[in-house]
Amino acid sequence: MKLSFRDVSKTFRSLRGAVPAVRGVDFSVEDGELFVLLGPSGCGKSTILNLAAGLERPTSGEIRFDGEIVASLEGRVFVPPGERNVAMVFQGYALYPHLNVRENIAFPLRVAGEAREEIDRSVVRTASMLGIEDLLRSRPSELSGGQRQRVAIARALVRKPRLFLLDEPLSNLDAALRTATRAELRRLQRSLEVTTLYVTHDQTEAMTLGDRIALLRDGRILQTGTPRDLYEKPQTPFAASFIGPYTMNLLKTDLEEEGGVCSIRIGTERLPLPPDRASGARLLGSRKILFGIRPEHARAHPDSPDPGLRGIVTAVEHLGRETLVTADLGGASLRAIAGEGTLKEGDVARIAIPVDSIHVFPD
Amino acid sequence: MNGERRIGMLHLAGAVAMTIFCLGPIVYMALTAMSHRPDFLAPGAGFAFTAAHFLEVLRTESLHFPEYFRNSLVVSGFSAAFSVSVAAPAAYAVTRLAIPGRVAVLFAVLAVSMFPQVSLVSYLFKLMSAMGWINTYAALVLPYTAWILPLSLWILTSYFSRVPRDIDRAALVDGCGPLEALWKVIVPVAAPGIFSTALLAFIFAFNELLFALMLTTDHRARTIPAGIALFEGLHGETPWGAVMAAATLTVVPVVALTLVFQRRIIQGLTRGAVKE
Repeated sequence: MKLSFRDVSKTFRSLRGAVPAVRGVDFSVEDGELFVLLGPSGCGKSTILNLAAGLERPTSGEIRFDGEIVASLEGRVFVPPGERNVAMVFQGYALYPHLNVRENIAFPLRVAGEAREEIDRSVVRTASMLGIEDLLRSRPSELSGGQRQRVAIARALVRKPRLFLLDEPLSNLDAALRTATRAELRRLQRSLEVTTLYVTHDQTEAMTLGDRIALLRDGRILQTGTPRDLYEKPQTPFAASFIGPYTMNLLKTDLEEEGGVCSIRIGTERLPLPPDRASGARLLGSRKILFGIRPEHARAHPDSPDPGLRGIVTAVEHLGRETLVTADLGGASLRAIAGEGTLKEGDVARIAIPVDSIHVFPD
Repeated sequence: MNGERRIGMLHLAGAVAMTIFCLGPIVYMALTAMSHRPDFLAPGAGFAFTAAHFLEVLRTESLHFPEYFRNSLVVSGFSAAFSVSVAAPAAYAVTRLAIPGRVAVLFAVLAVSMFPQVSLVSYLFKLMSAMGWINTYAALVLPYTAWILPLSLWILTSYFSRVPRDIDRAALVDGCGPLEALWKVIVPVAAPGIFSTALLAFIFAFNELLFALMLTTDHRARTIPAGIALFEGLHGETPWGAVMAAATLTVVPVVALTLVFQRRIIQGLTRGAVKE
């Protein structure tokens, strides 16, 4: 099923005034695609999920399932959640505490009025798909977090929904379980080919799970693209710093031009820009730019005559095989990756910046 | 004696004083009911056990106690059931819908419940007379339902607001309509709360005196509180032994209900619903 949002806004009104949560959001999720809504808390991603589920009504704009309008204020259309055949996994799982696992998973089928034998078969099939056949008689209160999670997923998938909605489903699991469940979710989603909208604030989850990602901030989509697009071609400094294993170095600097060669100043160091980046920077129309380089692309070595920026190491974080060093370049600080044990605090480092990895934003 | 010990003693003394203060009248009531004469505390009177007052209350037909008892159970039961079944959807709406000024609604309801009963009773009497409902259950059940409704709404609102919203959102997504979600999910999950609300509503109706006194004139619908208030001895004297015996018998169902269902009331069913 294809899900599309056309210029959808949602404003919450209370006595204290109107709070816009979603502002003019446009996107489509293709059939069978896993689409991630990524953003910090309060960016409106959960509201978008609730709008898709029908738990909230849009203030303006329209939502379509396979071209058919399911919510539009102007068109006076609103299909309630129960009639949309969507399934949702909540952050806190939201299992029915008064029902056992079997009854929890069977609940959507029961409400739909399916025959008892049919329900039993579907419940057992779904439970075995998730490896929870042994838990069918247990109550939610007797389960661990990971088991509750599986029950919630089973309840969502038991009736072959048109749209699968997940609201931070992994955030309550511990790190090891999170990685394992992430891989399993991906496998399940692929095998069922169900159109999926996945909300998270964790960029690692977004990068590893998503076919495409929409990055949100303050109720707006900043950028939509594949994980690789977002990593390699962030269009805003926010996207640049939000995505990636380490926060991107972003330094305010001036573009300088001398004899046709462009360069920028970083602290007391000068970095020549290759012509293509320089022209990109020139196109920004301002001399004031924001220079960006991901720490994992900047390589720090002990001082040598090789080209690169010179700086004094001020902090070293051990990552295992490598270390993340922070170096002071005479007033500007830059983080870069170095081999484990090659640099320590106070050392002079030489940081190589591969020109292909440089990002330039208007300041 | 160190400070901690002294504080412990004070706590104990306070607790004992409180217990005596609360239970004293009830003990006195039970003892009077069982004593061969009501003034057993008077000098030289003495206490001798007798079950005569209880037997009198239960057997004397002119006292109509068994009828009062039955009337009380029926009237209180229906009043509790009605008020909870009206208050439950209302509490669901108040806790779940984005109604502007829902707090104002709640306080308006509370304010209405503050009307003194006396200010309503003469009007109620006229209404019920005109309807020809004096001495019927309806004459008591309807005003009781309305009178207990604000209390039920407030208690249920507090219980329902503790049921995580994601649970009914899940029910809505799983295909329930709003009322179905209330019935299949909220009500079972909040069952202990609903039960204790119903119990409180029952006790309120069970104890009510003024309406019962005004809206009944004979034993057909008269409830225990009005019945006891109107107990009269053969020669117009107050039959203290019988009054106390009747009162003691009246306490029994209320205490029994509370004791039997205490565990259900306290037990939280929401455990394990969501990750805390």
